[in-house]
Amino acid sequence: MKSFRFWATSGLFAMLCILALAPRTTFATGSPRDVVRELSDAVIAVLQEKNLSADAKREKIRGIVQGYVDFSTMSRLVLARNWASLSDSQKAEFVEEFKQHLSVVYGKNVESYNNEKVQITGDRDEGRGDWTVQTKIIRPQGGADILVDYRLRQIDGSWKVIDLIIERVSLVSNFRSQFQEVMANGGIEKLLQLLREKNAAGQPLKS
Amino acid sequence: MPVPPLDQPSAPAPITERDPWEPFNRKIFWFNDKVDSYVLEPTAKGWNFVVPNEIQTCLTNFFYNLRFPIQTVNDLLQGKVQRAASDVGRFFVNTTFGVAGFFDPASSVGLDFQWEDFGQTLGWWGVGTGPYLVLPILGPSDIRDGGGLIFDTAASITPFFVNGYYLFAARSVDLINTRAIYADTIEKAKESSIDYYTFVRNAYLQRRAAMIRDQEAATAETQEDLYHP
Repeated sequence: MKSFRFWATSGLFAMLCILALAPRTTFATGSPRDVVRELSDAVIAVLQEKNLSADAKREKIRGIVQGYVDFSTMSRLVLARNWASLSDSQKAEFVEEFKQHLSVVYGKNVESYNNEKVQITGDRDEGRGDWTVQTKIIRPQGGADILVDYRLRQIDGSWKVIDLIIERVSLVSNFRSQFQEVMANGGIEKLLQLLREKNAAGQPLKS
Repeated sequence: MPVPPLDQPSAPAPITERDPWEPFNRKIFWFNDKVDSYVLEPTAKGWNFVVPNEIQTCLTNFFYNLRFPIQTVNDLLQGKVQRAASDVGRFFVNTTFGVAGFFDPASSVGLDFQWEDFGQTLGWWGVGTGPYLVLPILGPSDIRDGGGLIFDTAASITPFFVNGYYLFAARSVDLINTRAIYADTIEKAKESSIDYYTFVRNAYLQRRAAMIRDQEAATAETQEDLYHP
């Protein structure tokens, strides 16, 4: 019993030392809250530009989002247990197609932008290196506010978005269950083919 | 039945998408989708064209106000005395100052609306969802929430005051109006999904789980599996 207490206290002491001495690189790039603020400010700035075509705006926003969202982590979470069964080239293709799918889907919102503002309403530590930032999209032209939570994870020293929870529905969970359904019936090839078709059909970007 | 502590909802199980009747559910889903594309969607489009947004909001307020008995009963069944008081307050403020409930001045004085129903109450008591269930016309549900719907219909006082035809007309207006308000959302959901049936099932179950917990993210309990698979 005594030795347990000894190890527990000295272990705790050692941990405190490490924590105290550890360089604060983890917060060098700003808190998760700052990251979400930056991201939404940057996107809204583009949306408010008057002399840009919708396509040009989409292209610009795509560039911005790329720097904030970790699509490969998101893809891994979406495929979950199935991820390991993919070959390297399938993984790479999936990340690309999934990213493209999200940009096609969300890119369509560019036209319907109507002076919405983003308000950060809170944030919380989720443990194991994850953080959630809660926001609200305020619609001055009427309509109920939209709740959007960002799940962030520290990857290579900076906070990256790994999931969006829109009106209490997690995007990762939602796509995971859809993709599981498709893969259960046709495997990864079927899923990739569906994504390719969908992306080709709904392509808002020229190419 | 075990009595839950009043200050804390009993921890719900992480969402599981149990769908043993999937082939049957998919048939009903297909049927609903047809009804939607041939009847509801076109009507809702016309509605959106004719009825201004402000009026649509007024109608939503009106129907929400009529939910007052259901809201209050379920607040109390979940031990939320403050919310029950707030819902009673809402009803009086909105019925009088809000002109029979068409406006919602209560929200601007801090009595905000938070949807409650018997399915949520059961969930709060710790009853699981049971298998997923698609109801004709009414759409996604599960055994628990479908049962809850029967209770809520019984708890609603309107049928005692209103003649059946008017009630049917009112329900139809409510349905079309709601469909019209969510027209864009539904269109985007269809476009963005790879498998729309699964999209709806997952979204429904996630949202319901979050509503039972009265919190904004549906992911707290499912974190482990979701974010560290």
